Amino acid sequence: MGREEEAETQTSICKDAPNLLSFFVDTFVDFSVSGLFLLPTPPLQNPNPSISRSLPPLPTRLPSPSRLIAVGDLHGDLDKTKQALRLAGLIDASDRYVGGSATVVQVGDVLDRGGDELKILYFLEKLKREAARSGGKIITMNGNHEIMNIEGDFRFVTKTALDEFRVWEQWFSVGNKMKGLCQGLETPTDPFKGVPMSFHGVKREFFDGFRARVAALRPNGPISSRFLSQNVTVLVVGDSLFVHGGLLPQHVDYGLERINEEVRDWINGSSGKFSPQYCRGRNAVVWLRKFSNEVAQNCDCATLEHVLKTVPGAKRMIMGHTIQTAGINGACENRAIRIDVGMSRGCGGGLPEVLEISKNSGLRILTSNPLYQNMGNAGLNVGKEELLIPAHGGLREVEVKA
Amino acid sequence: MGLAQSAEAAAHVTQTQIQTQTSTQTSTSNNSNSTSLDSVLAEAAAYGNNDDTEESIEAKAQRALECPCIADLRTGPCGFQFSEAFLCFLKSTAEEKGSDCVSPFVALQSCIKANPNAFSKDVLGEDESEKPESTQEYKILPPQWSREPQSPKSRL
Repeated sequence: MGREEEAETQTSICKDAPNLLSFFVDTFVDFSVSGLFLLPTPPLQNPNPSISRSLPPLPTRLPSPSRLIAVGDLHGDLDKTKQALRLAGLIDASDRYVGGSATVVQVGDVLDRGGDELKILYFLEKLKREAARSGGKIITMNGNHEIMNIEGDFRFVTKTALDEFRVWEQWFSVGNKMKGLCQGLETPTDPFKGVPMSFHGVKREFFDGFRARVAALRPNGPISSRFLSQNVTVLVVGDSLFVHGGLLPQHVDYGLERINEEVRDWINGSSGKFSPQYCRGRNAVVWLRKFSNEVAQNCDCATLEHVLKTVPGAKRMIMGHTIQTAGINGACENRAIRIDVGMSRGCGGGLPEVLEISKNSGLRILTSNPLYQNMGNAGLNVGKEELLIPAHGGLREVEVKA
Repeated sequence: MGLAQSAEAAAHVTQTQIQTQTSTQTSTSNNSNSTSLDSVLAEAAAYGNNDDTEESIEAKAQRALECPCIADLRTGPCGFQFSEAFLCFLKSTAEEKGSDCVSPFVALQSCIKANPNAFSKDVLGEDESEKPESTQEYKILPPQWSREPQSPKSRL
Protein backbone atom coordinates (compact mmCIF):
# COMPACT_ATOMS: atom_id res chain seq x y z
CA MET A 1 0.00 0.00 0.00
CA GLY A 2 1.39 3.39 -0.95
CA ARG A 3 1.96 6.04 1.70
CA GLU A 4 -1.08 8.07 0.60
CA GLU A 5 -3.37 5.06 0.63
CA GLU A 6 -1.99 4.09 3.98
CA ALA A 7 -2.86 7.49 5.39
CA GLU A 8 -6.33 7.32 3.85
CA THR A 9 -7.00 3.93 5.41
CA GLN A 10 -5.79 5.13 8.78
CA THR A 11 -7.98 8.24 8.60
CA SER A 12 -11.08 6.36 7.66
CA ILE A 13 -10.58 3.85 10.46
CA CYS A 14 -9.95 6.64 12.93
CA LYS A 15 -13.19 8.32 11.93
CA ASP A 16 -14.96 5.34 13.45
CA ALA A 17 -12.64 4.89 16.40
CA PRO A 18 -14.79 6.95 18.81
CA ASN A 19 -17.86 4.85 18.10
CA LEU A 20 -15.87 1.66 18.41
CA LEU A 21 -14.40 2.84 21.69
CA SER A 22 -17.86 3.70 22.97
CA PHE A 23 -19.18 0.30 21.95
CA PHE A 24 -16.21 -1.36 23.67
CA VAL A 25 -16.69 0.60 26.89
CA ASP A 26 -20.41 -0.17 27.02
CA THR A 27 -19.68 -3.86 26.52
CA PHE A 28 -16.97 -3.83 29.18
CA VAL A 29 -19.17 -2.03 31.69
CA ASP A 30 -22.14 -4.30 30.99
CA PHE A 31 -19.93 -7.35 31.49
CA SER A 32 -18.45 -5.96 34.68
CA VAL A 33 -21.87 -5.21 36.14
CA SER A 34 -23.82 -8.23 34.98
CA GLY A 35 -21.36 -10.87 33.83
CA LEU A 36 -23.22 -10.92 30.53
CA PHE A 37 -22.53 -10.11 26.91
CA LEU A 38 -25.60 -8.96 25.01
CA LEU A 39 -26.60 -9.32 21.41
CA PRO A 40 -26.81 -6.04 19.54
CA THR A 41 -30.02 -4.05 19.99
CA PRO A 42 -32.69 -5.52 17.78
CA PRO A 43 -33.87 -3.29 14.93
CA LEU A 44 -36.85 -1.05 15.65
CA GLN A 45 -40.13 -2.80 15.06
CA ASN A 46 -42.25 -1.04 12.46
CA PRO A 47 -40.70 2.41 12.65
CA ASN A 48 -43.31 4.92 11.58
CA PRO A 49 -41.71 7.85 9.85
CA SER A 50 -44.90 9.87 9.93
CA ILE A 51 -44.69 10.20 13.69
CA SER A 52 -42.10 12.81 14.52
CA ARG A 53 -41.25 11.28 17.85
CA SER A 54 -37.81 9.93 18.51
CA LEU A 55 -39.15 6.70 19.99
CA PRO A 56 -41.56 4.25 18.43
CA PRO A 57 -44.78 3.81 20.46
CA LEU A 58 -44.76 1.07 23.06
CA PRO A 59 -46.92 -1.91 22.12
CA THR A 60 -50.24 -1.54 23.94
CA ARG A 61 -52.34 -3.98 21.98
CA LEU A 62 -50.98 -7.14 20.45
CA PRO A 63 -52.70 -10.00 18.66
CA SER A 64 -53.00 -13.41 20.26
CA PRO A 65 -49.79 -15.39 19.97
CA SER A 66 -49.90 -19.17 19.73
CA ARG A 67 -48.32 -19.31 23.17
CA LEU A 68 -48.46 -16.67 25.85
CA ILE A 69 -46.71 -16.95 29.22
CA ALA A 70 -47.39 -14.61 32.11
CA VAL A 71 -44.87 -14.28 34.94
CA GLY A 72 -45.61 -12.61 38.25
CA ASP A 73 -43.56 -10.43 40.60
CA LEU A 74 -39.85 -11.26 40.77
CA HIS A 75 -38.56 -8.87 43.45
CA GLY A 76 -34.84 -9.17 43.02
CA ASP A 77 -34.55 -12.97 43.04
CA LEU A 78 -32.62 -14.11 39.98
CA ASP A 79 -32.71 -17.82 40.83
CA LYS A 80 -36.49 -17.81 41.12
CA THR A 81 -36.72 -15.80 37.93
CA LYS A 82 -34.78 -18.47 36.11
CA GLN A 83 -36.80 -21.25 37.72
CA ALA A 84 -40.02 -19.65 36.56
CA LEU A 85 -38.74 -19.23 33.03
CA ARG A 86 -37.41 -22.79 32.94
CA LEU A 87 -40.74 -24.08 34.18
CA ALA A 88 -42.31 -22.56 31.10
CA GLY A 89 -39.65 -24.02 28.81
CA LEU A 90 -38.45 -20.55 27.91
CA ILE A 91 -34.79 -20.97 28.82
CA ASP A 92 -32.50 -23.96 28.84
CA ALA A 93 -29.94 -25.05 31.42
CA SER A 94 -27.42 -22.58 29.99
CA ASP A 95 -29.85 -19.67 30.36
CA ARG A 96 -30.36 -19.45 26.62
CA TYR A 97 -33.78 -18.42 25.32
CA VAL A 98 -35.45 -21.45 23.78
CA GLY A 99 -39.05 -20.27 23.81
CA GLY A 100 -39.34 -19.88 20.06
CA SER A 101 -42.13 -17.57 19.00
CA ALA A 102 -43.79 -17.36 22.39
CA THR A 103 -44.86 -14.08 23.93
CA VAL A 104 -43.83 -13.60 27.54
CA VAL A 105 -45.28 -10.91 29.77
CA GLN A 106 -43.69 -10.12 33.11
CA VAL A 107 -46.15 -8.02 35.10
CA GLY A 108 -43.71 -5.84 37.05
CA ASP A 109 -42.05 -5.59 40.45
CA VAL A 110 -38.56 -6.68 39.44
CA LEU A 111 -37.22 -4.14 41.94
CA ASP A 112 -37.09 -4.24 45.77
CA ARG A 113 -36.99 -7.00 48.36
CA GLY A 114 -34.03 -8.73 46.76
CA GLY A 115 -30.45 -8.10 45.74
CA ASP A 116 -30.49 -9.23 42.12
CA GLU A 117 -32.26 -6.24 40.62
CA LEU A 118 -29.69 -5.24 38.03
CA LYS A 119 -28.91 -8.87 37.34
CA ILE A 120 -32.56 -9.50 36.51
CA LEU A 121 -32.87 -6.36 34.40
CA TYR A 122 -29.81 -7.36 32.41
CA PHE A 123 -30.91 -10.99 32.19
CA LEU A 124 -34.32 -10.05 30.85
CA GLU A 125 -32.70 -7.69 28.38
CA LYS A 126 -30.45 -10.50 27.17
CA LEU A 127 -33.48 -12.75 26.73
CA LYS A 128 -35.46 -10.02 24.99
CA ARG A 129 -32.80 -9.80 22.33
CA GLU A 130 -32.47 -13.56 22.00
CA ALA A 131 -36.25 -13.94 21.77
CA ALA A 132 -36.51 -11.32 19.05
CA ARG A 133 -34.29 -13.48 16.88
CA SER A 134 -36.67 -16.43 17.12
CA GLY A 135 -39.76 -14.34 16.51
CA GLY A 136 -40.58 -14.36 20.20
CA LYS A 137 -41.34 -11.39 22.37
CA ILE A 138 -40.61 -10.64 26.00
CA ILE A 139 -42.55 -7.70 27.43
CA THR A 140 -41.83 -6.25 30.83
CA MET A 141 -44.21 -4.04 32.74
CA ASN A 142 -44.05 -1.41 35.42
CA GLY A 143 -45.06 -2.49 38.89
CA ASN A 144 -45.60 -0.17 41.83
CA HIS A 145 -42.05 -0.88 42.95
CA GLU A 146 -40.61 0.40 39.68
CA ILE A 147 -42.65 3.59 40.01
CA MET A 148 -41.63 4.00 43.65
CA ASN A 149 -37.93 3.62 42.99
CA ILE A 150 -37.95 6.04 40.10
CA GLU A 151 -39.57 8.53 42.50
CA GLY A 152 -36.89 7.94 45.14
CA ASP A 153 -39.10 5.88 47.43
CA PHE A 154 -36.57 3.32 48.61
CA ARG A 155 -38.47 1.92 51.59
CA PHE A 156 -38.27 -1.66 50.31
CA VAL A 157 -34.69 -1.68 49.11
CA THR A 158 -32.40 -4.32 50.61
CA LYS A 159 -28.81 -3.92 51.72
CA THR A 160 -27.57 -6.29 49.01
CA ALA A 161 -29.46 -4.33 46.41
CA LEU A 162 -27.82 -1.13 47.52
CA ASP A 163 -24.48 -2.80 47.17
CA GLU A 164 -25.30 -3.97 43.67
CA PHE A 165 -26.01 -0.38 42.69
CA ARG A 166 -22.85 0.87 44.38
CA VAL A 167 -20.80 -1.56 42.29
CA TRP A 168 -22.76 -0.60 39.18
CA GLU A 169 -21.88 3.05 39.75
CA GLN A 170 -18.18 2.32 40.11
CA TRP A 171 -17.98 0.58 36.77
CA PHE A 172 -20.33 3.01 35.09
CA SER A 173 -18.16 5.92 36.22
CA VAL A 174 -14.98 4.23 35.04
CA GLY A 175 -16.67 3.73 31.70
CA ASN A 176 -17.57 7.39 31.51
CA LYS A 177 -14.02 8.37 32.33
CA MET A 178 -12.72 6.13 29.57
CA LYS A 179 -15.11 7.70 27.09
CA GLY A 180 -14.07 11.11 28.33
CA LEU A 181 -10.49 10.41 27.35
CA CYS A 182 -11.42 10.03 23.69
CA GLN A 183 -11.55 13.47 22.08
CA GLY A 184 -13.94 12.35 19.38
CA LEU A 185 -16.64 11.48 21.89
CA GLU A 186 -18.92 13.91 23.67
CA THR A 187 -18.12 14.01 27.36
CA PRO A 188 -20.74 11.81 28.95
CA THR A 189 -23.30 13.53 31.17
CA ASP A 190 -22.47 13.23 34.82
CA PRO A 191 -25.20 10.98 36.23
CA PHE A 192 -24.66 12.60 39.64
CA LYS A 193 -25.65 16.07 38.64
CA GLY A 194 -28.13 17.23 41.27
CA VAL A 195 -27.78 14.12 43.42
CA PRO A 196 -27.29 14.97 47.10
CA MET A 197 -23.99 14.13 48.77
CA SER A 198 -25.74 13.11 51.96
CA PHE A 199 -29.13 11.95 53.17
CA HIS A 200 -30.53 13.28 56.40
CA GLY A 201 -31.16 10.63 59.00
CA VAL A 202 -29.48 7.88 57.02
CA LYS A 203 -26.34 6.10 58.20
CA ARG A 204 -23.27 7.53 56.58
CA GLU A 205 -22.02 4.16 55.37
CA PHE A 206 -24.99 3.95 52.96
CA PHE A 207 -24.59 7.35 51.35
CA ASP A 208 -22.64 5.95 48.39
CA GLY A 209 -25.21 3.27 47.73
CA PHE A 210 -28.15 5.67 47.84
CA ARG A 211 -26.36 8.20 45.67
CA ALA A 212 -25.79 5.47 43.12
CA ARG A 213 -29.40 4.33 43.27
CA VAL A 214 -30.75 7.84 42.89
CA ALA A 215 -28.43 8.53 39.98
CA ALA A 216 -29.36 5.26 38.29
CA LEU A 217 -33.10 5.17 38.80
CA ARG A 218 -34.38 8.73 38.88
CA PRO A 219 -36.17 9.89 35.74
CA ASN A 220 -33.74 9.85 32.85
CA GLY A 221 -31.14 8.05 34.96
CA PRO A 222 -28.99 5.50 33.12
CA ILE A 223 -30.85 2.46 34.41
CA SER A 224 -34.31 3.99 34.14
CA SER A 225 -33.83 5.18 30.62
CA ARG A 226 -32.13 2.04 29.46
CA PHE A 227 -34.38 -0.62 31.00
CA LEU A 228 -37.45 0.79 32.71
CA SER A 229 -38.47 3.09 29.89
CA GLN A 230 -39.06 0.00 27.78
CA ASN A 231 -41.76 -1.16 30.19
CA VAL A 232 -45.44 -0.87 29.40
CA THR A 233 -47.89 -0.04 32.15
CA VAL A 234 -51.00 -1.54 30.59
CA LEU A 235 -51.10 -4.17 27.90
CA VAL A 236 -53.61 -6.15 25.87
CA VAL A 237 -52.46 -9.38 24.27
CA GLY A 238 -55.23 -11.14 22.43
CA ASP A 239 -58.12 -11.35 24.89
CA SER A 240 -55.99 -10.81 27.99
CA LEU A 241 -55.58 -7.46 29.67
CA PHE A 242 -52.38 -7.15 31.70
CA VAL A 243 -51.71 -4.66 34.45
CA HIS A 244 -49.70 -4.84 37.66
CA GLY A 245 -52.43 -3.81 40.13
CA GLY A 246 -55.69 -3.41 38.27
CA LEU A 247 -57.58 -1.20 35.87
CA LEU A 248 -60.60 0.93 36.68
CA PRO A 249 -63.06 2.40 34.20
CA GLN A 250 -61.47 5.83 34.50
CA HIS A 251 -58.15 4.39 33.39
CA VAL A 252 -59.67 2.94 30.26
CA ASP A 253 -61.40 6.28 29.62
CA TYR A 254 -58.10 8.06 30.03
CA GLY A 255 -56.64 5.88 27.33
CA LEU A 256 -54.38 2.85 27.50
CA GLU A 257 -51.93 4.05 24.86
CA ARG A 258 -51.86 7.43 26.54
CA ILE A 259 -50.99 5.85 29.89
CA ASN A 260 -48.12 3.89 28.39
CA GLU A 261 -46.74 6.90 26.58
CA GLU A 262 -47.00 9.26 29.54
CA VAL A 263 -45.36 6.87 31.95
CA ARG A 264 -42.54 6.26 29.52
CA ASP A 265 -42.07 9.98 28.97
CA TRP A 266 -41.98 10.47 32.73
CA ILE A 267 -39.35 7.75 33.12
CA ASN A 268 -37.30 9.49 30.45
CA GLY A 269 -37.36 12.71 32.43
CA SER A 270 -39.95 14.84 30.73
CA SER A 271 -42.27 15.51 33.65
CA GLY A 272 -40.30 15.84 36.84
CA LYS A 273 -39.95 13.66 39.88
CA PHE A 274 -43.43 12.29 40.37
CA SER A 275 -45.28 9.78 38.28
CA PRO A 276 -48.64 10.55 36.68
CA GLN A 277 -51.58 10.59 39.06
CA TYR A 278 -52.93 7.21 37.95
CA CYS A 279 -49.70 5.65 39.21
CA ARG A 280 -50.09 6.90 42.76
CA GLY A 281 -52.47 6.08 45.55
CA ARG A 282 -54.72 3.19 46.33
CA ASN A 283 -56.62 3.31 43.04
CA ALA A 284 -53.52 3.47 40.92
CA VAL A 285 -53.08 1.05 38.02
CA VAL A 286 -50.02 -0.30 39.84
CA TRP A 287 -51.47 -0.35 43.37
CA LEU A 288 -55.08 -1.50 43.01
CA ARG A 289 -56.09 -4.65 44.88
CA LYS A 290 -59.83 -4.62 44.18
CA PHE A 291 -59.64 -7.73 42.02
CA SER A 292 -56.86 -9.44 43.91
CA ASN A 293 -58.32 -10.25 47.28
CA GLU A 294 -57.28 -13.79 48.17
CA VAL A 295 -60.84 -14.31 49.28
CA ALA A 296 -62.33 -14.29 45.83
CA GLN A 297 -65.81 -13.28 46.87
CA ASN A 298 -64.46 -10.02 48.24
CA CYS A 299 -63.40 -8.95 44.79
CA ASP A 300 -65.26 -6.21 43.02
CA CYS A 301 -66.39 -8.33 40.11
CA ALA A 302 -68.96 -5.84 38.91
CA THR A 303 -66.32 -3.21 38.26
CA LEU A 304 -64.07 -5.77 36.66
CA GLU A 305 -66.83 -6.76 34.24
CA HIS A 306 -67.43 -3.13 33.41
CA VAL A 307 -63.76 -2.60 32.62
CA LEU A 308 -63.53 -5.71 30.48
CA LYS A 309 -66.57 -4.62 28.49
CA THR A 310 -64.89 -1.33 27.63
CA VAL A 311 -61.73 -2.94 26.28
CA PRO A 312 -62.60 -4.55 22.95
CA GLY A 313 -61.98 -8.28 22.96
CA ALA A 314 -60.81 -8.45 26.58
CA LYS A 315 -62.00 -11.57 28.40
CA ARG A 316 -59.84 -11.43 31.50
CA MET A 317 -57.53 -9.21 33.51
CA ILE A 318 -54.19 -10.70 34.53
CA MET A 319 -52.51 -9.04 37.51
CA GLY A 320 -49.59 -9.37 39.86
CA HIS A 321 -49.01 -7.23 42.93
CA THR A 322 -50.93 -9.17 45.60
CA ILE A 323 -49.30 -12.36 46.84
CA GLN A 324 -51.56 -15.35 46.43
CA THR A 325 -50.49 -17.85 49.05
CA ALA A 326 -52.32 -20.66 47.29
CA GLY A 327 -50.57 -19.95 44.01
CA ILE A 328 -52.01 -18.63 40.77
CA ASN A 329 -55.78 -18.56 40.87
CA GLY A 330 -58.82 -16.90 39.38
CA ALA A 331 -61.66 -14.84 40.76
CA CYS A 332 -64.86 -13.48 39.25
CA GLU A 333 -65.34 -16.64 37.22
CA ASN A 334 -61.75 -16.59 36.10
CA ARG A 335 -62.12 -13.10 34.64
CA ALA A 336 -59.52 -11.95 37.16
CA ILE A 337 -56.36 -14.07 37.16
CA ARG A 338 -53.93 -13.36 39.97
CA ILE A 339 -50.38 -14.44 39.18
CA ASP A 340 -48.21 -13.05 41.99
CA VAL A 341 -47.10 -16.10 43.95
CA GLY A 342 -44.52 -14.27 46.07
CA MET A 343 -41.75 -16.35 44.60
CA SER A 344 -38.91 -14.06 45.68
CA ARG A 345 -36.94 -15.01 48.78
CA GLY A 346 -37.81 -11.56 50.04
CA CYS A 347 -41.52 -12.33 49.73
CA GLY A 348 -41.54 -15.67 51.48
CA GLY A 349 -40.13 -17.76 48.67
CA GLY A 350 -43.35 -19.03 47.11
CA LEU A 351 -43.06 -21.93 44.67
CA PRO A 352 -42.68 -20.64 41.12
CA GLU A 353 -45.75 -20.80 38.93
CA VAL A 354 -46.52 -19.20 35.61
CA LEU A 355 -49.67 -18.86 33.57
CA GLU A 356 -49.80 -20.24 30.08
CA ILE A 357 -52.38 -19.30 27.47
CA SER A 358 -52.03 -21.26 24.28
CA LYS A 359 -54.11 -21.87 21.19
CA ASN A 360 -53.84 -25.60 21.74
CA SER A 361 -54.47 -25.87 25.43
CA GLY A 362 -56.23 -22.76 26.59
CA LEU A 363 -55.35 -21.52 30.07
CA ARG A 364 -53.04 -23.60 32.18
CA ILE A 365 -51.01 -23.06 35.30
CA LEU A 366 -47.50 -24.40 35.06
CA THR A 367 -46.40 -25.10 38.57
CA SER A 368 -43.33 -26.40 40.31
CA ASN A 369 -45.49 -27.58 43.17
CA PRO A 370 -44.94 -31.35 43.44
CA LEU A 371 -48.41 -31.75 44.95
CA TYR A 372 -49.85 -31.31 41.51
CA GLN A 373 -47.75 -33.91 39.78
CA ASN A 374 -50.59 -36.30 39.22
CA MET A 375 -53.60 -34.06 38.93
CA GLY A 376 -55.96 -35.45 36.37
CA ASN A 377 -58.39 -32.62 36.21
CA ALA A 378 -59.02 -29.87 33.73
CA GLY A 379 -57.35 -26.50 33.97
CA LEU A 380 -58.80 -23.04 33.85
CA ASN A 381 -60.69 -23.08 30.67
CA VAL A 382 -62.61 -25.20 28.28
CA GLY A 383 -61.00 -26.70 25.25
CA LYS A 384 -58.28 -28.59 27.06
CA GLU A 385 -57.28 -31.95 25.75
CA GLU A 386 -54.40 -33.76 27.37
CA LEU A 387 -52.63 -32.79 30.48
CA LEU A 388 -48.91 -32.54 30.09
CA ILE A 389 -46.94 -33.12 33.23
CA PRO A 390 -43.49 -31.55 33.07
CA ALA A 391 -40.69 -33.35 34.87
CA HIS A 392 -40.67 -31.38 38.08
CA GLY A 393 -44.08 -29.95 38.28
CA GLY A 394 -47.46 -30.19 36.81
CA LEU A 395 -50.65 -28.51 35.95
CA ARG A 396 -53.37 -27.84 38.39
CA GLU A 397 -56.89 -26.70 38.52
CA VAL A 398 -57.44 -23.08 39.23
CA GLU A 399 -58.90 -22.65 42.65
CA VAL A 400 -61.68 -20.17 43.01
CA LYS A 401 -61.67 -19.63 46.70
CA ALA A 402 -65.08 -19.16 48.15
CA MET B 1 -12.72 -0.17 45.43
CA GLY B 2 -15.32 -2.77 46.10
CA LEU B 3 -15.45 -4.38 42.72
CA ALA B 4 -15.27 -7.95 43.94
CA GLN B 5 -18.65 -8.79 42.49
CA SER B 6 -17.41 -8.54 38.95
CA ALA B 7 -14.76 -11.20 39.43
CA GLU B 8 -17.43 -13.66 40.46
CA ALA B 9 -19.51 -12.55 37.55
CA ALA B 10 -16.58 -13.23 35.25
CA ALA B 11 -16.15 -16.75 36.58
CA HIS B 12 -19.83 -17.33 36.06
CA VAL B 13 -19.54 -16.14 32.51
CA THR B 14 -16.71 -18.49 31.61
CA GLN B 15 -18.73 -21.41 32.87
CA THR B 16 -22.05 -20.67 31.33
CA GLN B 17 -21.32 -18.73 28.20
CA ILE B 18 -19.82 -20.99 25.65
CA GLN B 19 -19.75 -18.73 22.66
CA THR B 20 -19.15 -20.07 19.23
CA GLN B 21 -17.46 -17.68 16.89
CA THR B 22 -19.61 -17.06 13.90
CA SER B 23 -19.07 -14.78 11.03
CA THR B 24 -22.79 -14.17 10.61
CA GLN B 25 -23.44 -10.51 10.61
CA THR B 26 -26.61 -9.68 12.48
CA SER B 27 -29.32 -7.84 10.58
CA THR B 28 -29.06 -4.09 10.32
CA SER B 29 -29.55 -2.58 13.68
CA ASN B 30 -30.39 0.95 14.68
CA ASN B 31 -27.65 0.79 17.26
CA SER B 32 -25.21 3.40 16.07
CA ASN B 33 -22.32 1.39 17.46
CA SER B 34 -23.19 -1.63 15.37
CA THR B 35 -23.80 0.48 12.30
CA SER B 36 -20.44 2.15 12.51
CA LEU B 37 -18.76 -1.18 13.07
CA ASP B 38 -20.54 -2.53 10.05
CA SER B 39 -19.32 0.48 8.13
CA VAL B 40 -15.74 0.00 9.28
CA LEU B 41 -15.80 -3.62 8.26
CA ALA B 42 -17.52 -2.78 5.00
CA GLU B 43 -15.00 -0.06 4.29
CA ALA B 44 -12.21 -2.39 5.22
CA ALA B 45 -13.54 -4.93 2.77
CA ALA B 46 -13.88 -2.22 0.12
CA TYR B 47 -10.32 -1.07 0.64
CA GLY B 48 -9.19 -4.62 0.56
CA ASN B 49 -10.98 -5.21 -2.74
CA ASN B 50 -9.98 -1.95 -4.35
CA ASP B 51 -6.34 -1.97 -3.44
CA ASP B 52 -5.80 -5.66 -3.65
CA THR B 53 -4.12 -5.48 -0.29
CA GLU B 54 -5.40 -7.99 2.19
CA GLU B 55 -5.49 -6.07 5.42
CA SER B 56 -6.54 -8.55 7.99
CA ILE B 57 -8.94 -7.76 10.78
CA GLU B 58 -5.87 -7.93 12.99
CA ALA B 59 -4.11 -5.21 11.04
CA LYS B 60 -7.17 -2.99 11.03
CA ALA B 61 -7.61 -3.44 14.75
CA GLN B 62 -4.01 -2.42 15.26
CA ARG B 63 -4.67 0.69 13.20
CA ALA B 64 -7.66 1.55 15.37
CA LEU B 65 -5.38 1.40 18.38
CA GLU B 66 -3.25 4.13 16.84
CA CYS B 67 -6.09 6.60 16.46
CA PRO B 68 -6.04 9.89 18.39
CA CYS B 69 -9.20 8.88 20.27
CA ILE B 70 -7.38 5.95 21.79
CA ALA B 71 -4.11 7.69 22.60
CA ASP B 72 -4.80 8.74 26.20
CA LEU B 73 -6.38 5.39 27.03
CA ARG B 74 -3.19 3.56 26.19
CA THR B 75 -1.14 5.50 28.69
CA GLY B 76 -1.22 5.10 32.41
CA PRO B 77 -1.11 2.03 34.63
CA CYS B 78 -3.78 0.09 32.71
CA GLY B 79 -2.84 1.10 29.19
CA PHE B 80 -1.59 -2.35 28.31
CA GLN B 81 -4.63 -4.17 29.65
CA PHE B 82 -6.88 -1.69 27.90
CA SER B 83 -5.12 -2.22 24.58
CA GLU B 84 -5.37 -6.00 24.86
CA ALA B 85 -9.06 -5.84 25.74
CA PHE B 86 -9.89 -3.31 23.06
CA LEU B 87 -7.98 -5.25 20.40
CA CYS B 88 -9.71 -8.46 21.34
CA PHE B 89 -13.08 -6.73 21.20
CA LEU B 90 -12.42 -5.28 17.76
CA LYS B 91 -11.41 -8.64 16.41
CA SER B 92 -14.30 -10.47 18.02
CA THR B 93 -16.71 -11.95 15.51
CA ALA B 94 -18.97 -13.55 18.10
CA GLU B 95 -22.65 -12.66 17.87
CA GLU B 96 -22.37 -11.21 21.35
CA LYS B 97 -19.38 -9.13 20.43
CA GLY B 98 -16.59 -9.42 22.96
CA SER B 99 -17.91 -12.59 24.57
CA ASP B 100 -14.72 -14.34 23.53
CA CYS B 101 -12.66 -11.71 25.36
CA VAL B 102 -13.39 -12.67 28.95
CA SER B 103 -9.74 -13.12 29.80
CA PRO B 104 -8.47 -9.69 28.68
CA PHE B 105 -11.63 -8.10 30.09
CA VAL B 106 -10.98 -9.62 33.48
CA ALA B 107 -7.35 -8.52 33.30
CA LEU B 108 -8.52 -4.97 32.66
CA GLN B 109 -10.97 -5.21 35.55
CA SER B 110 -8.19 -6.33 37.90
CA CYS B 111 -5.97 -3.51 36.80
CA ILE B 112 -8.72 -0.95 37.36
CA LYS B 113 -9.46 -2.36 40.81
CA ALA B 114 -5.80 -1.95 41.68
CA ASN B 115 -5.62 1.50 40.09
CA PRO B 116 -8.98 3.24 40.56
CA ASN B 117 -7.72 6.41 38.93
CA ALA B 118 -6.25 4.67 35.93
CA PHE B 119 -8.51 6.53 33.51
CA SER B 120 -9.05 9.77 35.38
CA LYS B 121 -8.22 12.92 33.51
CA ASP B 122 -5.48 14.64 35.43
CA VAL B 123 -6.00 18.00 33.78
CA LEU B 124 -7.44 19.62 36.86
CA GLY B 125 -6.38 16.89 39.25
CA GLU B 126 -9.89 16.79 40.64
CA ASP B 127 -12.69 14.34 40.40
CA GLU B 128 -15.80 15.97 38.94
CA SER B 129 -18.04 14.54 41.57
CA GLU B 130 -16.21 16.46 44.25
CA LYS B 131 -17.65 19.70 42.99
CA PRO B 132 -20.29 21.09 45.32
CA GLU B 133 -23.71 19.79 44.42
CA SER B 134 -26.38 22.09 43.16
CA THR B 135 -28.76 23.36 45.79
CA GLN B 136 -31.57 21.31 44.30
CA GLU B 137 -32.85 18.95 46.97
CA TYR B 138 -33.65 15.42 46.02
CA LYS B 139 -35.48 13.65 48.78
CA ILE B 140 -35.58 9.93 49.21
CA LEU B 141 -37.59 7.66 51.46
CA PRO B 142 -34.94 5.36 52.89
CA PRO B 143 -35.59 1.84 54.19
CA GLN B 144 -35.85 1.41 57.96
CA TRP B 145 -32.61 -0.57 58.31
CA SER B 146 -30.58 2.28 56.86
CA ARG B 147 -31.77 4.94 59.24
CA GLU B 148 -29.78 6.49 62.04
CA PRO B 149 -31.15 5.32 65.41
CA GLN B 150 -32.89 8.48 66.56
CA SER B 151 -33.89 9.92 63.22
CA PRO B 152 -37.25 11.61 62.95
CA LYS B 153 -39.94 9.51 61.31
CA SER B 154 -40.94 12.34 59.06
CA ARG B 155 -40.01 12.28 55.40
CA LEU B 156 -36.36 13.15 54.92
